[in-house]
Amino acid sequence: MTQDELFASIQAKFPKIEKAAVPVKDYLTVRLATKDMLLPFATWLKQTGFDYLEMVSAVDFLGPVDMKGYIRQMNFNTFLPDGATPQIESAATPNYPYRPVIDLVWSFVSLKDKARVIVRLETPRDASSAPTLSGLFKAADWQEREIFDLFGVTYEGHPNLTKILTPDFLQGHPLRKDYAHVKDRYDE
Amino acid sequence: MNNAPVQPDNETVGKLKTDQMFINLGPQHPSTHGVLRVGLTVEGEIIVKAVPDIGYLHRGTEKLAEVRGYHHCVVLTDRWDYVSAMPNNLVFCLAAEKLMGVKAPPRADALRVIMCEMNRVASHLLFFGTYGIDIGAYTPFLYAFREREMILDLFEMMCGARLTYNYIRLGGVMVDATPEWLAKLREFVAYFKPKLDEYDNLLTYNPIFMARTEDVGLISAEDAISWGLSGPNLRGSGVNYDARRADPYCGYENYEFDVPLGKTGSCWDRFFCRAQEMRQSIRIIEQALAKLPEGPFMATGVAKIPKPAPGESYAHVEASRGDLGIHLVSDGGISPFRMHVRAPSFINLAMLQEKLVGMKVSDVIALLGSIDIVLGEVDR
Repeated sequence: MTQDELFASIQAKFPKIEKAAVPVKDYLTVRLATKDMLLPFATWLKQTGFDYLEMVSAVDFLGPVDMKGYIRQMNFNTFLPDGATPQIESAATPNYPYRPVIDLVWSFVSLKDKARVIVRLETPRDASSAPTLSGLFKAADWQEREIFDLFGVTYEGHPNLTKILTPDFLQGHPLRKDYAHVKDRYDE
Repeated sequence: MNNAPVQPDNETVGKLKTDQMFINLGPQHPSTHGVLRVGLTVEGEIIVKAVPDIGYLHRGTEKLAEVRGYHHCVVLTDRWDYVSAMPNNLVFCLAAEKLMGVKAPPRADALRVIMCEMNRVASHLLFFGTYGIDIGAYTPFLYAFREREMILDLFEMMCGARLTYNYIRLGGVMVDATPEWLAKLREFVAYFKPKLDEYDNLLTYNPIFMARTEDVGLISAEDAISWGLSGPNLRGSGVNYDARRADPYCGYENYEFDVPLGKTGSCWDRFFCRAQEMRQSIRIIEQALAKLPEGPFMATGVAKIPKPAPGESYAHVEASRGDLGIHLVSDGGISPFRMHVRAPSFINLAMLQEKLVGMKVSDVIALLGSIDIVLGEVDR
């Protein structure tokens, strides 16, 4: 099944789903208009043979990453003369459309057809949420917990939406671009 | 009516009377292969609840990558699955090369394939040895490590490191293979091939080992797909999916190899898949050695400080533990704007919470060992 055929069959069933403006290279990338469309679309995908939830991910488009989120100085080098700038520092790229948005990403694979469709959903940064897919795909369970832990995205209806990777005392969601590290008992 | 006494629920009462015990498995238990903790609630011998607790090794490599250059990120990738770091290097390079529009030359592709397959053998040998120990057979471990050491020596000759290689670089590989090294590798392949039969006699078809693993930890094909298992865990359940076949990279479509499949999805099937994969890896190495193309080992035009045009890419490879993928987003800057790792160990481990329920305590390690996790990759 080519990407165009796959997209045509998606359009026939869900006319509101369109191709993403920035596609993931080499793979069909579609964008959902609202989060209500996710569950019907995922159910349909599962019935059509895309029964393997490969990846749950998210991207925060706020801007360049805040250096306050890092505990240690970047590229700390004792041989560096005083006042010299570190090798790498986060900087905004001119003309890139930074925006207060968290893009949620799902990747579905059809093991039979060896096809892959990547689904994206734009959510506001301050109230990022989507329905959980853990009822359809058990693989969503931990992966959604991971995104919840690192981005603070709420997956509505998830049976056990708790932290999974970061320690209990860590405050904030580390992969958000504006995350700043709060000192805890392990600093110093 | 309102004063009617509350009828005790017979089932609940019965359950509460049963003596339940909480067992803390790990995080330092040798059979958990790292720092994994599983909170087990048992009734006698039977597990009624299992809560895997991970994150002890979380180093935040996805966050660290956001302030490092693309070349620096390859070093970070080594630290996920430190038992087989070559595919980690490879998958990041493939994703970044897609963004940068760089293509590795044929010789580099062949060397990448050789390295990844050698690493798969080394990784499966570690599994082979430690799974034997988990079950109670100590001897195979010594055999497996004897050969694994030879592969690590070859890696050391090539790139100076035995565990974290940083060998596969953006646009190619670090150094070219010398004729002496290739001769050593051919020597090793010839030495290693008969050893595989020895392993099978020693452990794979050992009746005691088979009896201990054959009916334990069954995972049906539907369950395996639903849990998103990948690699030998998925193929052990009889699902024929291999990223090398489904989405070929580095010229894997030009190599002849079989994809070993299990039947029932038992611990033994998963073990069997890995044991057979070693054979296939050796086959691939032999073919790659036979037709190793001449030419450069590094693409031209790879920037010292790459700044790929804004865009997104996804690359995935069949790593030793499953389908390792990277979702990379670039905003045009010198470091990745976002890197997401689809870590196979992390996703494979998730099914533990469901599969352990109803099993006997003595079978926990049999199942846990057969998933073959590396905690560096689970926690990233």
